[in-house]
Amino acid sequence: MDFLAMLNEAGFVGFELVRDTGFNSSPVTKGVLIRARKPDVEGRLTVPQNPMETYDHFFSQAYAPGSIDVKTKHLIALAASLGAGCQP
Amino acid sequence: MKAISTEDRKKIETGLRAKYVRVAITPEKDFQYPTGEAGLKGQHYDPNFLRNLPHDVLASYCGVGNPFTLGPISEGESVLDIGCGAGVDTLIAAMMVGPEGRALGIDVVPEMLERARENLRKTAFDNVTFQQASAEELPFPEGSFDVVISNGVFNLIPDKEKALREVFRVLKSSGQLRMADQVLTVAPSDDLSSRIDNWAG
Repeated sequence: MDFLAMLNEAGFVGFELVRDTGFNSSPVTKGVLIRARKPDVEGRLTVPQNPMETYDHFFSQAYAPGSIDVKTKHLIALAASLGAGCQP
Repeated sequence: MKAISTEDRKKIETGLRAKYVRVAITPEKDFQYPTGEAGLKGQHYDPNFLRNLPHDVLASYCGVGNPFTLGPISEGESVLDIGCGAGVDTLIAAMMVGPEGRALGIDVVPEMLERARENLRKTAFDNVTFQQASAEELPFPEGSFDVVISNGVFNLIPDKEKALREVFRVLKSSGQLRMADQVLTVAPSDDLSSRIDNWAG
Protein backbone atom coordinates (compact mmCIF):
# COMPACT_ATOMS: atom_id res chain seq x y z
CA MET A 1 0.00 0.00 0.00
CA ASP A 2 1.49 3.38 -0.88
CA PHE A 3 1.77 6.10 1.75
CA LEU A 4 -1.10 8.26 0.50
CA ALA A 5 -3.34 5.18 0.56
CA MET A 6 -2.20 4.55 4.17
CA LEU A 7 -3.22 8.11 5.07
CA ASN A 8 -6.63 7.46 3.54
CA GLU A 9 -7.00 4.20 5.48
CA ALA A 10 -6.08 5.93 8.74
CA GLY A 11 -8.94 8.39 8.21
CA PHE A 12 -7.10 11.49 7.02
CA VAL A 13 -8.65 13.77 4.43
CA GLY A 14 -7.16 16.47 2.23
CA PHE A 15 -3.90 14.55 2.06
CA GLU A 16 -1.48 15.49 -0.65
CA LEU A 17 2.10 15.25 -1.77
CA VAL A 18 2.63 19.00 -1.81
CA ARG A 19 6.02 19.18 -3.53
CA ASP A 20 9.49 17.73 -3.76
CA THR A 21 12.15 18.95 -1.33
CA GLY A 22 14.82 19.00 -4.00
CA PHE A 23 16.98 16.66 -1.95
CA ASN A 24 17.19 13.01 -2.97
CA SER A 25 19.14 10.69 -0.71
CA SER A 26 19.76 8.13 -3.43
CA PRO A 27 19.13 7.49 -7.13
CA VAL A 28 15.96 5.57 -6.21
CA THR A 29 14.46 7.95 -3.66
CA LYS A 30 13.20 11.50 -3.64
CA GLY A 31 12.47 13.98 -0.90
CA VAL A 32 8.85 14.99 -0.55
CA LEU A 33 6.64 17.13 1.64
CA ILE A 34 3.29 15.62 2.59
CA ARG A 35 0.37 17.18 4.39
CA ALA A 36 -2.83 15.57 5.71
CA ARG A 37 -5.76 16.74 7.82
CA LYS A 38 -7.95 15.03 10.39
CA PRO A 39 -11.60 15.82 9.68
CA ASP A 40 -13.64 17.64 12.27
CA VAL A 41 -15.64 15.60 14.83
CA GLU A 42 -18.66 15.21 12.61
CA GLY A 43 -16.59 14.11 9.62
CA ARG A 44 -16.84 17.39 7.75
CA LEU A 45 -13.81 19.34 6.68
CA THR A 46 -13.46 22.68 8.37
CA VAL A 47 -13.70 25.12 5.48
CA PRO A 48 -11.03 27.79 5.63
CA GLN A 49 -11.84 31.43 4.93
CA ASN A 50 -9.35 31.91 2.12
CA PRO A 51 -11.03 31.09 -1.25
CA MET A 52 -7.90 29.64 -2.84
CA GLU A 53 -7.30 27.45 0.20
CA THR A 54 -10.95 26.37 0.04
CA TYR A 55 -10.49 25.42 -3.60
CA ASP A 56 -7.20 23.62 -2.87
CA HIS A 57 -8.92 21.55 -0.17
CA PHE A 58 -11.81 20.69 -2.48
CA PHE A 59 -9.42 19.78 -5.29
CA SER A 60 -7.16 17.60 -3.14
CA GLN A 61 -10.11 15.79 -1.56
CA ALA A 62 -11.80 15.22 -4.91
CA TYR A 63 -8.68 13.70 -6.41
CA ALA A 64 -7.48 11.77 -3.34
CA PRO A 65 -7.29 8.01 -3.85
CA GLY A 66 -10.22 6.11 -2.46
CA SER A 67 -12.80 3.71 -3.82
CA ILE A 68 -11.91 5.16 -7.21
CA ASP A 69 -8.20 5.41 -7.97
CA VAL A 70 -6.64 8.72 -8.98
CA LYS A 71 -6.13 7.81 -12.65
CA THR A 72 -9.80 6.88 -13.07
CA LYS A 73 -10.88 10.13 -11.39
CA HIS A 74 -8.80 12.15 -13.82
CA LEU A 75 -10.23 10.23 -16.78
CA ILE A 76 -13.77 10.86 -15.50
CA ALA A 77 -12.99 14.56 -15.15
CA LEU A 78 -11.56 14.63 -18.66
CA ALA A 79 -14.63 12.90 -20.07
CA ALA A 80 -16.94 15.29 -18.22
CA SER A 81 -15.08 18.35 -19.44
CA LEU A 82 -15.12 17.10 -23.05
CA GLY A 83 -18.84 16.32 -22.74
CA ALA A 84 -19.43 19.85 -21.45
CA GLY A 85 -17.59 21.27 -24.43
CA CYS A 86 -14.61 22.67 -22.48
CA GLN A 87 -11.72 23.73 -24.62
CA PRO A 88 -8.28 22.24 -23.78
CA MET B 1 3.64 -5.94 2.37
CA LYS B 2 4.66 -9.14 4.13
CA ALA B 3 4.44 -8.78 7.92
CA ILE B 4 7.75 -8.11 9.69
CA SER B 5 8.67 -10.74 12.28
CA THR B 6 9.59 -9.83 15.86
CA GLU B 7 13.18 -10.84 15.15
CA ASP B 8 13.36 -8.64 12.05
CA ARG B 9 11.78 -5.74 13.93
CA LYS B 10 14.50 -6.05 16.59
CA LYS B 11 17.12 -6.08 13.85
CA ILE B 12 15.68 -2.87 12.37
CA GLU B 13 15.48 -1.15 15.75
CA THR B 14 19.01 -2.19 16.75
CA GLY B 15 20.44 -1.04 13.44
CA LEU B 16 18.62 2.28 13.56
CA ARG B 17 19.69 2.91 17.12
CA ALA B 18 23.34 2.18 16.33
CA LYS B 19 23.24 4.55 13.38
CA TYR B 20 21.47 7.39 15.16
CA VAL B 21 23.70 7.19 18.24
CA ARG B 22 26.54 8.12 15.87
CA VAL B 23 24.40 10.84 14.24
CA ALA B 24 23.62 12.32 17.68
CA ILE B 25 27.34 12.84 18.22
CA THR B 26 28.54 13.84 14.75
CA PRO B 27 25.64 14.48 12.38
CA GLU B 28 27.90 16.00 9.74
CA LYS B 29 29.97 12.82 9.50
CA ASP B 30 27.37 10.11 9.76
CA PHE B 31 24.28 11.56 8.14
CA GLN B 32 24.08 11.83 4.40
CA TYR B 33 21.14 14.26 4.52
CA PRO B 34 21.13 18.03 5.05
CA THR B 35 22.82 18.82 8.37
CA GLY B 36 23.68 21.83 10.47
CA GLU B 37 23.25 25.46 9.49
CA ALA B 38 23.96 24.72 5.86
CA GLY B 39 21.20 22.12 5.86
CA LEU B 40 18.74 24.52 7.51
CA LYS B 41 19.49 27.25 4.99
CA GLY B 42 19.33 24.80 2.10
CA GLN B 43 15.83 23.74 3.20
CA HIS B 44 14.75 27.39 3.59
CA TYR B 45 14.18 27.48 7.33
CA ASP B 46 13.12 30.97 8.43
CA PRO B 47 16.26 32.86 9.55
CA ASN B 48 14.13 34.87 11.99
CA PHE B 49 13.80 31.72 14.08
CA LEU B 50 17.27 30.35 13.45
CA ARG B 51 18.95 33.46 14.81
CA ASN B 52 17.38 32.73 18.21
CA LEU B 53 19.22 29.42 18.55
CA PRO B 54 22.92 29.02 19.43
CA HIS B 55 25.21 27.92 16.61
CA ASP B 56 26.03 24.61 18.27
CA VAL B 57 22.31 23.84 18.53
CA LEU B 58 21.84 24.59 14.83
CA ALA B 59 24.88 22.41 14.08
CA SER B 60 23.01 19.40 15.48
CA TYR B 61 20.21 19.63 12.88
CA CYS B 62 19.70 16.71 10.56
CA GLY B 63 16.62 16.36 8.40
CA VAL B 64 15.40 15.68 4.89
CA GLY B 65 13.17 18.71 4.39
CA ASN B 66 11.34 21.56 6.08
CA PRO B 67 7.88 20.62 7.42
CA PHE B 68 7.28 24.23 8.50
CA THR B 69 6.77 25.21 4.86
CA LEU B 70 3.53 23.19 4.83
CA GLY B 71 1.47 25.60 6.87
CA PRO B 72 1.52 28.09 9.71
CA ILE B 73 1.80 27.18 13.37
CA SER B 74 0.03 29.67 15.60
CA GLU B 75 0.61 30.94 19.10
CA GLY B 76 -1.04 28.82 21.73
CA GLU B 77 -1.04 25.63 19.67
CA SER B 78 0.29 22.22 20.70
CA VAL B 79 2.82 20.58 18.39
CA LEU B 80 4.23 17.05 18.45
CA ASP B 81 7.52 16.34 16.67
CA ILE B 82 7.81 12.62 15.89
CA GLY B 83 11.40 11.44 15.69
CA CYS B 84 12.68 14.76 17.03
CA GLY B 85 16.34 13.72 17.03
CA ALA B 86 18.43 16.55 18.50
CA GLY B 87 15.27 18.66 18.74
CA VAL B 88 15.95 21.55 16.37
CA ASP B 89 12.50 21.34 14.73
CA THR B 90 10.89 21.04 18.19
CA LEU B 91 12.68 24.18 19.38
CA ILE B 92 11.57 26.08 16.29
CA ALA B 93 7.98 24.93 16.89
CA ALA B 94 8.32 26.13 20.50
CA MET B 95 9.15 29.62 19.27
CA MET B 96 6.12 29.57 16.96
CA VAL B 97 3.62 28.49 19.62
CA GLY B 98 4.94 30.88 22.23
CA PRO B 99 4.56 30.65 26.01
CA GLU B 100 0.85 29.76 25.82
CA GLY B 101 1.54 26.77 23.56
CA ARG B 102 3.68 23.69 23.88
CA ALA B 103 6.09 21.70 21.75
CA LEU B 104 6.81 18.08 22.50
CA GLY B 105 9.47 15.96 20.84
CA ILE B 106 9.64 12.17 20.95
CA ASP B 107 12.34 9.80 19.78
CA VAL B 108 13.25 6.14 20.30
CA VAL B 109 17.02 6.77 20.60
CA PRO B 110 17.99 7.82 24.17
CA GLU B 111 21.25 9.40 22.98
CA MET B 112 19.32 11.65 20.58
CA LEU B 113 17.00 12.71 23.42
CA GLU B 114 19.99 13.52 25.60
CA ARG B 115 21.32 15.75 22.81
CA ALA B 116 17.89 17.38 22.50
CA ARG B 117 17.72 18.08 26.25
CA GLU B 118 21.24 19.48 26.12
CA ASN B 119 20.14 21.78 23.29
CA LEU B 120 17.07 22.84 25.27
CA ARG B 121 19.25 23.78 28.26
CA LYS B 122 21.03 26.27 25.96
CA THR B 123 17.75 28.15 25.46
CA ALA B 124 15.32 29.87 27.81
CA PHE B 125 12.28 28.00 26.50
CA ASP B 126 9.97 26.54 29.13
CA ASN B 127 7.27 25.22 26.80
CA VAL B 128 9.24 22.22 25.47
CA THR B 129 9.38 18.60 26.59
CA PHE B 130 11.37 15.69 25.18
CA GLN B 131 10.49 12.08 25.95
CA GLN B 132 11.23 8.60 24.71
CA ALA B 133 8.34 7.11 22.79
CA SER B 134 7.56 5.27 19.60
CA ALA B 135 5.24 6.62 16.90
CA GLU B 136 3.53 3.21 16.94
CA GLU B 137 2.39 3.74 20.53
CA LEU B 138 1.98 7.41 21.29
CA PRO B 139 1.58 7.96 25.05
CA PHE B 140 -0.91 10.82 24.69
CA PRO B 141 -4.69 11.12 24.98
CA GLU B 142 -6.87 11.42 21.92
CA GLY B 143 -7.05 14.92 20.49
CA SER B 144 -3.89 16.26 22.16
CA PHE B 145 -2.21 18.16 19.34
CA ASP B 146 -3.03 20.81 16.73
CA VAL B 147 -0.10 19.83 14.52
CA VAL B 148 2.13 16.77 14.24
CA ILE B 149 5.39 17.25 12.36
CA SER B 150 7.96 14.72 11.26
CA ASN B 151 11.23 15.10 9.40
CA GLY B 152 12.76 12.06 7.76
CA VAL B 153 11.23 9.57 10.18
CA PHE B 154 8.30 7.69 8.72
CA ASN B 155 10.53 5.85 6.26
CA LEU B 156 12.21 4.29 9.33
CA ILE B 157 9.04 3.14 11.12
CA PRO B 158 8.38 -0.62 10.74
CA ASP B 159 4.56 -0.39 11.08
CA LYS B 160 3.69 2.82 9.26
CA GLU B 161 -0.04 2.08 9.20
CA LYS B 162 -0.13 1.72 12.97
CA ALA B 163 1.88 4.92 13.40
CA LEU B 164 -0.50 6.84 11.14
CA ARG B 165 -3.51 5.57 13.12
CA GLU B 166 -1.79 6.81 16.26
CA VAL B 167 -1.07 10.21 14.72
CA PHE B 168 -4.71 10.43 13.66
CA ARG B 169 -5.82 9.57 17.19
CA VAL B 170 -3.71 12.19 18.97
CA LEU B 171 -4.55 15.00 16.55
CA LYS B 172 -7.39 17.36 17.40
CA SER B 173 -10.28 17.66 14.97
CA SER B 174 -9.04 19.47 11.87
CA GLY B 175 -5.45 19.05 13.11
CA GLN B 176 -2.73 18.45 10.54
CA LEU B 177 0.13 16.08 9.93
CA ARG B 178 2.98 17.84 8.13
CA MET B 179 6.00 15.80 7.17
CA ALA B 180 9.13 15.68 5.09
CA ASP B 181 10.45 12.31 4.04
CA GLN B 182 12.15 10.24 1.39
CA VAL B 183 10.05 7.95 -0.80
CA LEU B 184 11.06 5.22 -3.19
CA THR B 185 10.73 6.04 -6.87
CA VAL B 186 10.94 2.36 -7.81
CA ALA B 187 9.01 -0.67 -6.62
CA PRO B 188 10.51 -2.09 -3.41
CA SER B 189 12.46 -5.33 -3.62
CA ASP B 190 10.50 -8.54 -3.15
CA ASP B 191 13.39 -9.83 -1.06
CA LEU B 192 12.29 -8.94 2.48
CA SER B 193 15.65 -10.02 3.91
CA SER B 194 17.61 -7.48 1.87
CA ARG B 195 15.02 -4.79 2.66
CA ILE B 196 15.47 -5.48 6.39
CA ASP B 197 19.26 -5.24 6.03
CA ASN B 198 18.93 -1.93 4.19
CA TRP B 199 16.43 -0.63 6.77
CA ALA B 200 18.69 -1.52 9.71
CA GLY B 201 21.94 -0.29 8.30
